[in-house]
Amino acid sequence: MTAQAAAEQAAQVGPARSVVLQAERLTRRFGGLLAVNSVSFDVEEGEIFGLIGPNGAGKTTLFNMITGLQRLSSGSVRYRGSEISKLRPDQIARRGIARTFQNIRLFGNLSALENVMIAQHVHLRSGVLGGVLGLPLSRREEQHAPERACELLDLVGLLGRAYQEARTLPYGDQRRLEIARALALEPTLLLLDEPAAGMNPNEKHDLSTFIRGLHDRFKLTVLLIEHHVPLVLGLCDRIAVLNFGQLIALGAPEQVRQDPAVIDAYLGAE
Amino acid sequence: MAVFFATYGSLIVAMLLAAMLALSLYLPLLAGQLSLASPGFYALGGYVAAIISTRVVPFDSGAQAYIWRMGTHEVARFSGPLYPVSLLIVEMLVAGVLSAVLAIVLGLPALRLRGIYLLLATIAFVQILQVVTQVLDLTGGAIGIFNIPQPFASQLGYAWVVVPLLLLSAGFVYRLERIRIGRAFTAIREDELAAAAMGINLAYHKVLAFTMGAVLAGIVGVISAHSINTWNSRQGTFDAGITYLAFVLIGGSRTFLGPIIGGIVLYALPEVLRGLAAIPGLPLALAQLLKDGRLIMYGLLLVLGTIFFPQGLIRPNLFRHRTVEATPRKIEQQ
Ligand SMILES: Nc1ncnc2c1ncn2[C@@H]1O[C@H](COP(=O)(O)OP(=O)(O)OP(=O)(O)O)[C@@H](O)[C@H]1O
Ligand SMILES: [Mg+2]
Repeated sequence: MTAQAAAEQAAQVGPARSVVLQAERLTRRFGGLLAVNSVSFDVEEGEIFGLIGPNGAGKTTLFNMITGLQRLSSGSVRYRGSEISKLRPDQIARRGIARTFQNIRLFGNLSALENVMIAQHVHLRSGVLGGVLGLPLSRREEQHAPERACELLDLVGLLGRAYQEARTLPYGDQRRLEIARALALEPTLLLLDEPAAGMNPNEKHDLSTFIRGLHDRFKLTVLLIEHHVPLVLGLCDRIAVLNFGQLIALGAPEQVRQDPAVIDAYLGAE
Repeated sequence: MAVFFATYGSLIVAMLLAAMLALSLYLPLLAGQLSLASPGFYALGGYVAAIISTRVVPFDSGAQAYIWRMGTHEVARFSGPLYPVSLLIVEMLVAGVLSAVLAIVLGLPALRLRGIYLLLATIAFVQILQVVTQVLDLTGGAIGIFNIPQPFASQLGYAWVVVPLLLLSAGFVYRLERIRIGRAFTAIREDELAAAAMGINLAYHKVLAFTMGAVLAGIVGVISAHSINTWNSRQGTFDAGITYLAFVLIGGSRTFLGPIIGGIVLYALPEVLRGLAAIPGLPLALAQLLKDGRLIMYGLLLVLGTIFFPQGLIRPNLFRHRTVEATPRKIEQQ
């Protein structure tokens, strides 16, 4: 099945919800390597959209392009109808797209609480003078912000470690802290890059439940990269499959699982 | 006591100025930007003071005479009319504004550079400024500007300006580290890419931090020019930047107290050692080193410091959860 056909098929099956994110012929070259090759797909409001594919398929690169961390070689990304591929990462974040990183990128020397509070940046307004002088607006914000951050820490089960330096947290806690930090942006679209990496099957199952809970509670649209196939099949409304930078399948979990191209490229290897 | 202050007045003032210069380098570093531009803005501030006080304002500095009173100590004093402190403050404002403008113009392109390249660009700025001031008539050419008038009768008098200024800038940075902007700076220092992905505008905050440092250095330059009485292109050179950096790195680069303590202690150190050099019976070479080896000593301290105190003498573990002021109720309840 070609990418084109996959996209059409998905469009027919999908319920009539509004499109949040529209990737059009996304392409990224690294020298001679086509890391992402003309990938097109739509993500609909409120869905959990899975992105799978073998190592080096271009999944993370795709995330980096959506969040503005890597420039597009060609193509376009639309978010709620407007083009965002020329925007800076902070502008994209400000519009409500948050992410976690596959290779955890916390602010390691800062406490868990500080990590979350930093991501509240766009929702606070106090500037240098107001902040330094402790004017009323700034004072109120600086009182309120840690409270909110603690709610998020509580949500991911890290309240007890609020003052611990991020780099000293156990691996699983670091992954959950990344999620709390991303949530502090109050995103509408959340991009999770292998959030279950390094977890055992039990933890993976818990995480899956947790992500569904977040999705329901914050009315999030979730884009999820994950290698663990059962988790993806169980959690996602739709799944896109990348292989060598190309979209080889897109559709509901059942469809994708039976797709010969997918079995060939990926699932067969399990 | 009076003799002590009269003798060490200029040293005390210079120590406090050094602390502020260290702070001026610490500010961009707070946002992860290693810049050695401070001496450039310091030089700029000095010229602003020199030009305004000798060429713009009709003040006859020739009427101020230098008096040496010889006793057990040499005591320098000025007699004659004093330069108005209000004008000194005006000069500080002008220097601050000019430094800010120059910092923004310079910072916007330069702060796109990272690490060593930014460092080189800021060094180049200092060098270029030095060459320019050597040839301009406005800045007195190679000779510089003399007879910069004294606003205080003694060196210690400068403390009236320097102490409040140090408290003000220390308070400013202390507060800065605990608010939204400061957290954004720290995030950029920790991980630029992650900071950007969390909605922090990198260029804005880098230029902001750079500009704050520049303003402080410019203001310090104004005071120094008066206190030294003459200003030329040998003030605020590249090696001064290395010295400030030593203040910060040895004092501690993770909390505002580091550069302040570093600046005060390390500036005084050579003077103390110079005193030691006078001890009779010391081998000549050692005495010479103690007397003139200021840069060698800073270099040595930098090396030893980075080995034994990689975070500097003053470490932020002493000030836990430093960027958050309020303790959340949820945590109190636990
Ligand atoms: N900055 C870069 N420079 C050069 N090549 C890169 C860069 N980033 C990624 N690549 C290459 O692009 C391809 C896609 O990488 P990417 O990280 O997107 O894969 P992935 O699907 O996320 O893989 P994994 O499952 O291992 O995380 C790989 O071949 C990788 O080596
Ligand atoms: Mg990846």
